[in-house]
Amino acid sequence: MKKILLPIILILTPSLLFAAGASTQLEGGFKVGPAIILITILCVFVLVGILFRAKDTADFYAAGRGISRVGSGMAIASNWMSAASFLGMAALMYGAGYHGLAYVVGWTGGYVLLLILMAGQIRKYGKYTAADFIGDRYYSQGLRAVGAIIAILISISYCVGQFGGIGLMFKWILGLDYAAAVIIGGAVVLAYTLISGMLGVTKNMQIQYVIIIVSFLIPLFILTFKFDYFWVLPQIGYGSVVTDIVNGVPLAETNQLFNSLGHEYAMVPAPEYAMPWDPATGQTFFQWIAIAFSLMIGTAGLPHVIQRFYVVPKARDARWSVVWGLFFICVLYWSAPAYAAFGKILSANPEVGKLAKDAIVVYTAQLGNVNPLIVGLLAAGGVSAAFSTVSGLLVAGSSAFAHDLYVKIINPNSSPKKQLLMARLGTILMAVIVTLLALKNWALIGQLVAIAFSLAGVTIFPLFLLGIWWSGSNKQGAIAGLIAGGLVSVIALTYFIAGKEGVTLPYHEFVNYWLGAWYFAWIGAPLAIVANIVVSKLTPPTPLEIRKFLVLNVHS
Amino acid sequence: MDPNQNDYHISFFKPTTPQAKWNRNLAIKLILIWAVAVFGFHFLLRAIEKPTPEETYVKYEQVWESISSESATTDEMQVFANTTLSVLGKVFIKPDEKSALTNALSWTTFQLADSSQKALLQEQLAGFEKLKSEDISISDPAYISAKDKLSSLASGIIGLDRSDVRSKLISVSLSSAQLESFSETSRSMIPTIMSTYLIHNQSVLTDFIFLGFPFHYFYTAVFLLILFVFLCWLYCVRVDAMNVKLDIEE
Repeated sequence: MKKILLPIILILTPSLLFAAGASTQLEGGFKVGPAIILITILCVFVLVGILFRAKDTADFYAAGRGISRVGSGMAIASNWMSAASFLGMAALMYGAGYHGLAYVVGWTGGYVLLLILMAGQIRKYGKYTAADFIGDRYYSQGLRAVGAIIAILISISYCVGQFGGIGLMFKWILGLDYAAAVIIGGAVVLAYTLISGMLGVTKNMQIQYVIIIVSFLIPLFILTFKFDYFWVLPQIGYGSVVTDIVNGVPLAETNQLFNSLGHEYAMVPAPEYAMPWDPATGQTFFQWIAIAFSLMIGTAGLPHVIQRFYVVPKARDARWSVVWGLFFICVLYWSAPAYAAFGKILSANPEVGKLAKDAIVVYTAQLGNVNPLIVGLLAAGGVSAAFSTVSGLLVAGSSAFAHDLYVKIINPNSSPKKQLLMARLGTILMAVIVTLLALKNWALIGQLVAIAFSLAGVTIFPLFLLGIWWSGSNKQGAIAGLIAGGLVSVIALTYFIAGKEGVTLPYHEFVNYWLGAWYFAWIGAPLAIVANIVVSKLTPPTPLEIRKFLVLNVHS
Repeated sequence: MDPNQNDYHISFFKPTTPQAKWNRNLAIKLILIWAVAVFGFHFLLRAIEKPTPEETYVKYEQVWESISSESATTDEMQVFANTTLSVLGKVFIKPDEKSALTNALSWTTFQLADSSQKALLQEQLAGFEKLKSEDISISDPAYISAKDKLSSLASGIIGLDRSDVRSKLISVSLSSAQLESFSETSRSMIPTIMSTYLIHNQSVLTDFIFLGFPFHYFYTAVFLLILFVFLCWLYCVRVDAMNVKLDIEE
């Protein structure tokens, strides 16, 4: 790691000096300093990708199972800390206050379920991909194919939000329009994933974690210091910012503090920001609970997260990598709400205008008069966050395409070279689809990503949960569960897409509320589990060799 | 376990080996803690919350009847203008609601002005809006001067102290097109807007301040995450200890 970090610092230093004169601006225009930082970081990623590139299919899929548990924890965190975490979470809280914390809790609490119910057992099962597990556990090539298709759909859905985040940051840094920024950013992340594979990805993820967390925390220390809060631990210090929002900040108490546009650091009382399910946010108690629950079970069903447990040497390492991973994730998640809180006060004056919520992390740093170069580093951190996740998702998606569909079903006798080619073709195809969807700009990054969680929660989570913990769950039960979960998903997503395209379907208000696109798993997952259990009970039992494998290999 | 003595059945709820039983019990305990901590707390929050109006809402309620029947005194009109401004400074305002509030504020301010102030208000507001439409920088001296003059005049009319943060909002919250009439649409929207933005779900858990945070906010944003990491750590430690105790090599 030291060997890699030193060159990064050496490369970054002159670029920091070069761009020291850049001026703060909220929108538009090419920003020299941030652009150089971004390009430098991307070059480092590609370089590391080349140095640690995949040599064969085992490397490409699972990094040779040679990653340590802390390293794997960092990779889990980096893989997890996407644009949705880096940019989207603050956006959700900026836009809906306490309601946004449902995402914070959902995206972290799910790891407890994942660890206790699955991590060690998944590693013991010893497969490469989620579809592999489904195909073997439910002794069905058809289910393997369905599992692979679901994994691809989830990866695509997850990537759409990431590409949106990449687009926003490229737009901000390079001064391009959103569409061009999405296309350029997408092309760069695709090139990087293609030349590196997962071995490079895993090494890169460790570097990316450092860049992400450092770039995220530095501006926060500066903001808390500058605006006279407890800056030593900004994750606690921002509590007073929240209370200030609730009680208001009178002009008399601003102590000559201003935002970068010259407005006083003051605002009228706004308890709606911090109060639970406040009517002003338009969000309800049910939605808070449904989102938190859906994200939690979705976490335990995401293929690219599950896949990370295949790259550690032992089940024990898989378990401990979750602990490390969650801790590293929480460092960012403890910090993100602070950006939203500062953003609220700093943009309280109507003259600031309407800001793109998904870029509020960067705007907050700008409005807080943080040095433009540090703001640039923050934006580059946002891109890194999206890159680290997208690369993992593209690998998971292409693995599902090449390994589970092509090798296991279409052409079992294909050569390793051909398999790698198919994996790379799958990656390109996914990237093109994701780019096209990201250009639609349907919702906030966090909300787009939450769709992937609900999809995973109603499909893969029930299959893994029952597949691991109940040997009675059989092929027919799995099919029934998938049909139930799939049906709920199709209804929810049809209404969501129709609404975004201006089509009003019957009962749209009812369906959009109870089966919201970002939380339909609250009902879809229990339905899928019940369907699986009922049908399994009514049909022939699971074959002996599967049960024997579960007893002797997975639970011993 | 002796493979010859069982049918190789795995069930979370009916464990067949001591290890499986131990693991099941640990998982149930931890998941219960997890579920109560996350969902139990929020159900409690929901159960004890009470709709609590802001002080501004109480003031608004006292004057609204007079305003809506157009029989309000000057003091009542000023209170109403101040309350609309309080809501206009809020953090979440939908465009149509903002428009209704702007109409209410503009109309009330104009009604409160005497004839000389009316002309001046119209002139200054028109001038300021013209500057805004020219896409001038907000740090431009001409813009700042026009804004300050308008702010000073309008604040004086509605009885707002210049040290009040709302005085910083008034110049950008008025609309010259909405000075002379308070439309029926806006009028009908005001009660709902006021109750939506000025009444909140509060309880002892939201009012108690802990480490600077409203307690419930600290609990959700900080404590729950610590608890999640702790539960994961505890699970790993316990499983490792059990594996050593039972001499299990994974």
